[in-house]
Amino acid sequence: MSGYVLGRTKVDDTFAEAFPMRFARLVITAATDAWALEAARSMTGFATSVIGCKCEAAIERAVMPAETVDGRPGIAVLLFAMDRDGVGQRVLERVGQSVMTCPTTACFDGLEGEEKTVPLGASLRYFGDGFQASKVIAGKRFWRIPVMEGEFLVCESVGIGTGVGGGNLVIGAADEGAALAAAQTAADAMRGEGIALPFPGGIVRSGSKVGALTSKSLPASTNHQMAPTLRAQISDTLVPDGVGALFEIVIDGASEDNVREAMRRGLHAAAGAGATHVTAANFGGRLGQFHFPLSELRDPP
Amino acid sequence: MTLTLTLKAEPPARVLAAPLIPERLRGLNASAIAALELRCGGETSAVGDLFEVSGAGAEEELVLAGDLRRFDGIGARMASGEIVVRGDIGAWAGAEMSGGVLRIFGDAGARLGAAYPGARAGMTGGEIVVTGDAGEEAGAGMRRGLVAVGGQAGSGAGLRMLAGTVIAIGGIGAEAGLGNKRGSLVSGLPLEPLPAYAFATRYQPPALRLQLRRARELGLAVDEALLRGTWARWSGDRTELTRGEILIFDDGEERRE
Repeated sequence: MSGYVLGRTKVDDTFAEAFPMRFARLVITAATDAWALEAARSMTGFATSVIGCKCEAAIERAVMPAETVDGRPGIAVLLFAMDRDGVGQRVLERVGQSVMTCPTTACFDGLEGEEKTVPLGASLRYFGDGFQASKVIAGKRFWRIPVMEGEFLVCESVGIGTGVGGGNLVIGAADEGAALAAAQTAADAMRGEGIALPFPGGIVRSGSKVGALTSKSLPASTNHQMAPTLRAQISDTLVPDGVGALFEIVIDGASEDNVREAMRRGLHAAAGAGATHVTAANFGGRLGQFHFPLSELRDPP
Repeated sequence: MTLTLTLKAEPPARVLAAPLIPERLRGLNASAIAALELRCGGETSAVGDLFEVSGAGAEEELVLAGDLRRFDGIGARMASGEIVVRGDIGAWAGAEMSGGVLRIFGDAGARLGAAYPGARAGMTGGEIVVTGDAGEEAGAGMRRGLVAVGGQAGSGAGLRMLAGTVIAIGGIGAEAGLGNKRGSLVSGLPLEPLPAYAFATRYQPPALRLQLRRARELGLAVDEALLRGTWARWSGDRTELTRGEILIFDDGEERRE
């Protein structure tokens, strides 16, 4: 496969294939940044893939007290699903179980102004068993739910945006340590406004393909063509010579441009951190509405 | 250009200023506004006889300037836009307003944001900020919205309040929250609640933090101590639903006078 070279990194002439998704941005605040982070980690746990988790979610960024609605430290999280109802269900479940339960937190909408919304406090208020109360503040309704600590404050509803899910880079190097170091550097460079990297540490080692060779019921199975241990066992391996390990970074973004620029940052960071090979996963271009050719990412960010 | 009405001289009698709201002045030029008539005692007076008129009603903001203590009903029943008052004003300001913002850089008279006699509800939406003191029965009959007073609110604040919030950073007078159903009364200084209220707890109310920050946005001076401090929550009126509350700043000696 032709392509180009960045330093010592071979970049394949291929593209990442991604899909339209719906998403919400929540801003979780707390008395300390540590508690806000606890809630955000809990809320975005087990949210790596819509296939197995019904949603994809990750911490977007820390939000300084000067930026939050209540002046306390906060964490912005992004949650993606295939449709608005899916986002609404997952947000409700996860705020109810992971944010409301966490000491000192409050939960606010980070996508104000979006035309489409889903209820949050409007549904969660029933946990208050009739003792809940609302306040309209600057034109927005918030719910006060009495809890053992005091009150949990949550916004009435959250805005739903249309984003892009499934952008990706696959980063390889001679061995596991070198490939992981490059992938970690790339993931760190890719995080930012409008970006969610839903896998652990932003990195997935078990990239998948659609369906399975041995089963008609499995929705996904291992990407055997990218497994180095199978290089000598299969005829259609995609593991390049000299590559001993590969890691994938999956990117969900608030916009096509967010995903493209995150991929650009990641590609160049990986190249500078010892990756010998960078490629991307796709489905032949037949399934996803968005294509991100690596050839368009040659210029540094 | 913002429509500005600057008082020429003290009027001979009390003036009902309720017609001076942005939605009623929208689209009128200065001369048309000057020709409007207001009730002044048993007579009527033209706006132009009472005020210097500059600008036009094209924008959603109206500025009133001068000693307006004889002007009642400023912002009453307003539904949108913003009125900024630079000076003291009379009674019934913001009475039964349903939306918009009324900012008073001075003192306000009695029945701020209240219900007119016989009405089911007073203020049903919008925000009122008073940098000085407010008179008796602020927020009486209030159903929704925010009244935030930088100084002291007089006695009877929140009388028969249905819901909504009255904040008085300089403290609230006697008999606060009599007949209150679901409303919130907030006092920045110590207060002895009526016997119909019972002490619940001391805590940091998260919604109040947002309301105080909003009041600050609208021009009120709000100490950081109030935003970060502890408040005592009293529930009442127990002769009603016991769903109302009085929040009293309770952070040691920091703000006691």
